[in-house]
Amino acid sequence: MTDPVATPQVPERRPTDWKGKVMQRRIANRYAAERRFHAMGLGAVLLSVGFLAFLLVTMIGNGASGFRRTEILVPVDFAHAAIRLDPASFRGPGREAALAAADFEGVLFESAQARFGGGVFKILSEGAWLTVRNKVADNPDILKGKADIWVPASSAIDRAAKSGTPDPELDRVRKITDVRTSFDVSFLVGADSTDPTMVGVWGAFKGSLLTMLVTLALAFPVGVLSALYLEEYAPRNRWTDLIEVSINNLAAVPSIIFGLLGLAVFLNVMSLPRSAPIVGGLTLALMTMPVIVIAGRNAIKAVPPSIRDAALGIGASRVQVVFHHVLPLALPGILTGTIIGMARALGETAPLLMIGMRAFVSAPPGGLTDPATVLPVQIFLWSDEVSKGFVEKTSAAIIVLLVFLMTMNGLAIYLRNRFERRW
Amino acid sequence: MNAQNFADAATDSTAGTERDIKMVARDVNVYYGPKQAIKGVSIEIPTDEVTAFIGPSGCGKSTFLRTLNRMNDTVSGARVEGDIRLDGENIYDSSMDVVQLRARVGMVFQKPNPFPKSIFENVAYGTRIHGLASSRGEMEQIVEQSLKRAGLWDEVKDRLNDSGTALSGGQQQRLCIARAIAVDPEVILMDEPCSALDPIATAKIEELIHELRGRYAIAIVTHNMQQAARVSQRTAFFHLGHLVEYGDTSEMFTNPREQRTKDYITGRYG
Repeated sequence: MTDPVATPQVPERRPTDWKGKVMQRRIANRYAAERRFHAMGLGAVLLSVGFLAFLLVTMIGNGASGFRRTEILVPVDFAHAAIRLDPASFRGPGREAALAAADFEGVLFESAQARFGGGVFKILSEGAWLTVRNKVADNPDILKGKADIWVPASSAIDRAAKSGTPDPELDRVRKITDVRTSFDVSFLVGADSTDPTMVGVWGAFKGSLLTMLVTLALAFPVGVLSALYLEEYAPRNRWTDLIEVSINNLAAVPSIIFGLLGLAVFLNVMSLPRSAPIVGGLTLALMTMPVIVIAGRNAIKAVPPSIRDAALGIGASRVQVVFHHVLPLALPGILTGTIIGMARALGETAPLLMIGMRAFVSAPPGGLTDPATVLPVQIFLWSDEVSKGFVEKTSAAIIVLLVFLMTMNGLAIYLRNRFERRW
Repeated sequence: MNAQNFADAATDSTAGTERDIKMVARDVNVYYGPKQAIKGVSIEIPTDEVTAFIGPSGCGKSTFLRTLNRMNDTVSGARVEGDIRLDGENIYDSSMDVVQLRARVGMVFQKPNPFPKSIFENVAYGTRIHGLASSRGEMEQIVEQSLKRAGLWDEVKDRLNDSGTALSGGQQQRLCIARAIAVDPEVILMDEPCSALDPIATAKIEELIHELRGRYAIAIVTHNMQQAARVSQRTAFFHLGHLVEYGDTSEMFTNPREQRTKDYITGRYG
């Protein structure tokens, strides 16, 4: 059969003119479109980098000084003070009571008054006597004589010293004694206070840490197991559809609603302690779990069915298929979802306000049931303060929160990369 | 022997030829929801021979293969009727443990699907979950033996800790065969094992099937008729869910009884 098969006659096609004017314009348009898209993409990336840089620069600019504190050297003459303190009483079993009872404020005031003449409260921080107390607690022997003690300056002096603006009060103090501005350890180890020179973030940091631990311990296993069950075991019917829709809706519920739920269920019905990390963690776990379930289900769906077949085909049970093959392969995706959920929980303020975690807590929480606050709530509270000294502390706390967030995410990304496998 | 009687009772085109029968299916119907995919199929899988399932796409040959180790259980909406016996034991009986069944009736899939683990772990996995090796040394021995039987040992013996997914397609498929062999099955089901492979890798797999014959009962689904002719002793031709013809491969390809078989084998459709 060498003859060509007869086909119905179609009009002859015009040969394509690849060099023609129309074609050239088409090429030019195509190149222009490519360039436009390239420029827009680059622009978008640069814009977001710019915003990020702006955020970081302003935060660090405002907040860096929050990590530093101005101190004034005050010679305290314990031996000749009107209020005499006995070194022996600060040793042994009665120590705590003696420290609480002793009038360090009076002793410091007396010495400072003698030194600065007047306006002691304008010069020294309201909580300056705490430094004296701590010094005595460390070494009661200083009570036998005179001691030069660096005590925190008042908020006004502190701001003047840091900003370098001329301030008559500061100049007067500088003539009398030494003034220094140095790194403030107490900001990292202390808790909330009414005086901006005495505040610390450790209380809120530890509150956040405990709350996150509760959240993770609940939301991660419950979320992963729910996702596994729904993907691998649950039958496809109206009930599972309903559950799927409910979980998707839960992930979109405004966070303050979860706060109301926590208030109604954990505090009113279950009578758990108010303001406690355990309640905060439970509430945030409710909020985080749907995110983990959704991310987990998607990650599990992405595991190729051929892997399941392979395992089933050599006689692995369903549990073995899930835990030996599906879960390890889905884990990177699940961890990504967990990072997103936990980061959101860490930055959450609204639901915690509802369960009383906005209380003024002046000591770091000792456990899950102690009153506590968390970093974002602490930031919110400080930003609301009247005293100007809180401005830099607010920014400094934001830096601490960002560092916390980055550390947490870094850890999760490290874990995810360790589990990442290709198939 | 019960299975033998049962086999004789089943439709057999070559009654009279004595052979050991490993698996017997009788009047098997498979439904996917309302759709019937397999219609009254009766067949037996001999112990020492390779049985090929051929037929046009969508004729149900893979579906039928998957009923033999109950892999269709995992498909939602799939329903199997009829009687399938392994050594006389009904595999759909409630007393049959499906996990053990799949260890006894191993499976090799269309697309090579090694686990994203090391070559060693791939082969050792089945042995481990069924507790077939009592020591590390025994495990190593099983892995080596399985890889040798799958004809892969010489190529991978120096890199047992490399990922199984890093091998070539043909090597991956032989790894999957080694993985199936490692649990010491009685039957190996192969679902178009060469359809994703190049001709050289295909030739290696076919050679391997020849070597495995006699040690395991083998059922292989293929849409390549030359392959069926090369590797099998028995051939079953499926069409639209029916088993049209079942008999000796040589006879089937030279002298088919049914017109439909003849048309398919001569390439009239398919």
